[in-house]
Amino acid sequence: MSNASVGTVYEHIIQEVINAVRVDFEENGVDDGVLDELKRGWQQKLSQMNVAQFPWDPRPDQSAQPPANAPSAALSAQAAALPAASYTNATLSPQGPAQPLSLPSGSHLNNNGVAIKPEPGLVKPEPAIKEEPGAGGAQNPNQHPVYPTPAAQRAAQQLHSRYGNSAAASISAIHSGLQQGQQGQQGQQGQQQQGQQQQGQQQQGQQQHAHPQQNYQQQAQQNYQRQQAYQAQQGNQGQQQQQQQGVRPGQAPQQVNPQLQYRQGVAASMQQRLQAQQAAHPPNGLPAAQVDGPSDVYDGVLMRRGPDGRPVEMGRVEIDNLLHAQIAARAKQMEGGGLMLPLKEATKTRGIATKRERANGAQFDGVDDDLKDEDLDDDAINSDLDDPDDDKDDDEDDDDSMGHMMLCMYDKVQRVKNKWKCVLKDGVLTVNGREYVFHKATGEYEW
Amino acid sequence: MATNNTNFYDLYRHGSLGVSLTDALDDLIGAERIDPQLAMKVLTQFDRIVAEALSEKVKARLTFKGSLDTYRFCDEVWTFLIKNVTFKMDNGAHTVQVDKVKIVSCSAKRGDEK
Repeated sequence: MSNASVGTVYEHIIQEVINAVRVDFEENGVDDGVLDELKRGWQQKLSQMNVAQFPWDPRPDQSAQPPANAPSAALSAQAAALPAASYTNATLSPQGPAQPLSLPSGSHLNNNGVAIKPEPGLVKPEPAIKEEPGAGGAQNPNQHPVYPTPAAQRAAQQLHSRYGNSAAASISAIHSGLQQGQQGQQGQQGQQQQGQQQQGQQQQGQQQHAHPQQNYQQQAQQNYQRQQAYQAQQGNQGQQQQQQQGVRPGQAPQQVNPQLQYRQGVAASMQQRLQAQQAAHPPNGLPAAQVDGPSDVYDGVLMRRGPDGRPVEMGRVEIDNLLHAQIAARAKQMEGGGLMLPLKEATKTRGIATKRERANGAQFDGVDDDLKDEDLDDDAINSDLDDPDDDKDDDEDDDDSMGHMMLCMYDKVQRVKNKWKCVLKDGVLTVNGREYVFHKATGEYEW
Repeated sequence: MATNNTNFYDLYRHGSLGVSLTDALDDLIGAERIDPQLAMKVLTQFDRIVAEALSEKVKARLTFKGSLDTYRFCDEVWTFLIKNVTFKMDNGAHTVQVDKVKIVSCSAKRGDEK
């Protein structure tokens, strides 16, 4: 049978092609190894099609598959590793160092989110306060470095310097928070819970937290007026909390406990600010404009820590990559809400919308039905070559292009009435998953 | 043979041998190991060599019968869609039955004469 000769013929063809293009490969300065690789890849892909028994396959028919698959898997793995390697060398390298740094906006979020998260006690709100544009900057100039270093690093450094090892958890949380930072909503809810937790803890025992309280009591007093102003704006959340507290039995009036009130203020204002931040952020993910004037020392557009810890100005490409990553992350985040759908769905909905528009503008009884009716009417006139036949034909074409196919040359095609005769040559026939080659074929069929 | 680029059909690229070669070339191009132009050269060589090999190395003969469903002749290319085909190979020693097969056939004249 001609299927047996397929292997040798194909082997011959492969060898011929490889030999024929060797010169071209050399002229293009491509290594001989690539040519070998091409040959191996070609043979393996051909073996995977399993259209015939090939000389390069292992002899036994049943065991032919596993060895054929294993090297192919290795090859594909190699192929997968290759572009990855080349990308890490060339393309990704600007992004590599860009990973640890974060945009001010992201780190704002993180800072706020993380600052409360790890320890709901009295310690945590403090670093968040310092970020408030007016009070924090004026109060702790050292905490607000003039040049825009990444805020997460800043927070981490400060936590470390202030609380030493006890803050290690929250520092690591800040770093890990860089990845979680996108979950703004959840973080916010978490904050809400944290805020209530805070109250609960305060109820349970303020004694326990004597140290940290003292630690930032001064700040609290300094901030108190500002906080009251915040509370005035706080809207329902703050009021809710206050109401909760008011309802709570056995609790001292609010005026007696300014610290408590302040802490609520902090929690609520941070929630509010977080919301405001999210709302006020332009869609490109850049932070809101700086309120306290431009930075005094201009080092560069965007800085990052170099390997030696010194701030290094980021290049344009780096910043671009960073922005792109940020935007992509935000886009992904918004996908959940259906704001940014994949292009296909988006265009689909748009198409529906325009269709609806058109329908509204022109006719109200449905566009599609009318069109179909007209089409049918038109076709009814020329009944000989009408649509249904064509449709069937196309379907069959599609079906057959996947399956049984013969590629060949024709010498002669003759027809007498509905009887056809053709002489074909040099063909490849693929039927029932097997491949056959022929030098000459004659076919007779009726239409 | 200098003008062999135009003399041979790229029809066989759609067979399993051509598809697997194209896939292998695509992999190399994707890995930036070779240029697309080089891949095109490989494919034109493939066109020539397949045609030569099929005419020189293959001696098998084949007959088939069936009922023609669709025929089409466009740009010197015959396309047949035949149903209920019976292929007989090796003088009828081996038969294969298929419910339908598509035949794409280019003129043998052009490959030989020009």
